[in-house]
Amino acid sequence: MITVEENMTESISKEEKALLVKGYTAMVLARTLDKKLVSAQRQGRIGFYTPMMGQEASQVGLSMALLPEDFVYGYYRDIGLLIYRGGSIEALLNQTMGNSADSARGRQMPSHLMDKSVNFFTVPSMVGANLTLAVGTAYAYKMRKRKGIVAATFGDGATSTPDFHASMNFASVYDVPVLFFCENNQWAISYPVEKQSKTDISEKARAYGIRGLKVDGNNLVDVYRTTRQAVESIRAGEGPILINAVSYRMGPHSTSDDPSKYRKDEISEGSDRDPLVVTEKLLISMKVMDEHLPQAIKSQAEKIVDSKFEESEKIPPASPEETFTDVYAEDSWMLQEERGDLL
Amino acid sequence: MTMIKSINQALDLIMSDDPDAIILGEDIGINGGVFRATDGLYKKYGADRVIDTPLAEIGIVGMAIGMSVAGLHPIPEIQFQDFIYTAMDLIINQMAKIRFRSASQFSCPLVLRTPYGGGIKGGLYHSQSGESYFAHTAGLTVVTPSSPSDAKGLLISSTRSPDPVIFLEPKRLYRSIKEDVPDGVYEIPLRKAALKHQGDDITIVTYGSMVPVVIDTVERNNVNADVIDLRTLMPYDKDTILESVRKTGRVIIVHEAPRTLGMGAEISAMISERAIEYLYSPILRVTGLDAPFPYRNEEFYLPNEKRIMRAVKRAMEGV
Ligand SMILES: Cc1ncc(C[n+]2csc(CCOP(=O)(O)OP(=O)(O)O)c2C)c(N)n1
Ligand SMILES: [Mg+2]
Repeated sequence: MITVEENMTESISKEEKALLVKGYTAMVLARTLDKKLVSAQRQGRIGFYTPMMGQEASQVGLSMALLPEDFVYGYYRDIGLLIYRGGSIEALLNQTMGNSADSARGRQMPSHLMDKSVNFFTVPSMVGANLTLAVGTAYAYKMRKRKGIVAATFGDGATSTPDFHASMNFASVYDVPVLFFCENNQWAISYPVEKQSKTDISEKARAYGIRGLKVDGNNLVDVYRTTRQAVESIRAGEGPILINAVSYRMGPHSTSDDPSKYRKDEISEGSDRDPLVVTEKLLISMKVMDEHLPQAIKSQAEKIVDSKFEESEKIPPASPEETFTDVYAEDSWMLQEERGDLL
Repeated sequence: MTMIKSINQALDLIMSDDPDAIILGEDIGINGGVFRATDGLYKKYGADRVIDTPLAEIGIVGMAIGMSVAGLHPIPEIQFQDFIYTAMDLIINQMAKIRFRSASQFSCPLVLRTPYGGGIKGGLYHSQSGESYFAHTAGLTVVTPSSPSDAKGLLISSTRSPDPVIFLEPKRLYRSIKEDVPDGVYEIPLRKAALKHQGDDITIVTYGSMVPVVIDTVERNNVNADVIDLRTLMPYDKDTILESVRKTGRVIIVHEAPRTLGMGAEISAMISERAIEYLYSPILRVTGLDAPFPYRNEEFYLPNEKRIMRAVKRAMEGV
């Protein structure tokens, strides 16, 4: 899988160096925010959260390979993807708190991300439900000859849903510009990937006549380079691709989950396989950054996250009024009446 | 003109007026649909806009939602409403909720057409009337026509709705009635019921395939009835119903779907809450049975003249 360290040091361009530092910075920011949200939940300051620790390199590497005109159907852990893409941390925090500045008006649980300004679609709870939609959007892009491709992310568990199979098949049949990016963190709550599927996830692509790739999801450089090639090929009209980015869910499934009931954690924070450590070492050895930079980036990230969190916390909650709009473009009489009764 | 022909004509007009309109479904292209609703459209508009799909309802519905999010105006067809259930998650959790959960930053206007109801000897799995499943979901607009000219106008209006419409086509009416249908494009407003027969003694609320059955019944038996065709089941038109009920003081609701928690339950509750003081007799329902739809004995399942007249007599006697 990775031979990056040896063969890629010399071929690296200035632009790629800058890009990788930007990527690493986004990873650190995502990690910092992730830890902040977990501890905020423990302190009762937010209601719920689905940590992404362990998936930073996968998410950011994918995000680096995409362009602003691309459309993303993400899933609930994608804060790293969103941060690199330019999604605002304020918006993300406002969503988490369901406060009155939330652009979705406090309607969704934490982790149900959306940022239209960076073409990031609203995330549903149901696993796999974004996938067939991504194919439809890709069909529209192709038919209208619009610039851009569609990327959909999902977990290893999602590969068992009927939506996954239908979307792979439909994408292949209509040959649309879509990337299926599996953030394989090896667990679906308590259910390990070896049980979820008897084949490697990338191999499933073959049955549908599309290309399947596997990358080391802990290694930013590998994810970025492989995904960029894939994205360029999709952009060139060469058809859909499935990528299996193998990482590890380092935290609990959610703040309501206790993984000690079903597994022994295999990768802990700061260990050799922590994607942040892997990427840090790699970028230093590739001379993309010097060894002092990570610390500077980390303390900067902490300042940003702490201050933005406190700002969002000051914003009052979304008002009950928000329950009565946006059901239809024009309110139904039922809802008008219910609003009159309650407000 | 038959209803299937008027639907075909409406689709043709929609496709020629709106370059973003797109039709997709099983066997709807080259074959023109198993009921022929899309006959000729593939040839006229091409395979990119009249799309034959692989056999997966979640693929059809999911793609249609994703197309709509990207600005196209999809008109997916599900071959029989009975086969829609594998895609219910996408309908209820995605289609109906995208506007709400994105605070209108995203929306997915589309018209999902599907034949429903019995009367064609289709047995359990080609006869269901599942309108309550959809009508129970805020965010969906549920429309059902009862005549060829209504079908055309309602379908055209549905494609102009800013929100997703479930367009239920009573398949037993596809070819069983003919009437003159106006040429060209015209709209029939959504969320508005139609008074299809006028009278002072009793209000009969119905929709879809039961409208011609009810009208025949009241005409043959000289029942002095208001017959209200709901046309839109969600959000339905309460004002037209209440106005009639306050005049007649008697109500029967007729539908093919099972009685328990059918549309009749809602309408009955709504009338009880707002106009019970006008009623001379209990609100009665004449409906399909609380059983799966049978093959050989479908005439036992479906409301007919005899059952409707029994209810009329009970209502008139006030017991
Ligand atoms: C259709 C559906 N079934 C069950 C659930 C409950 N659930 C939420 S997340 C999850 C596991 C998902 O695992 P995976 O796809 O690997 O993503 P991960 O959470 O590991 O990132 C389950 C079972 C759900 N949200 N949606
Ligand atoms: Mg997983």
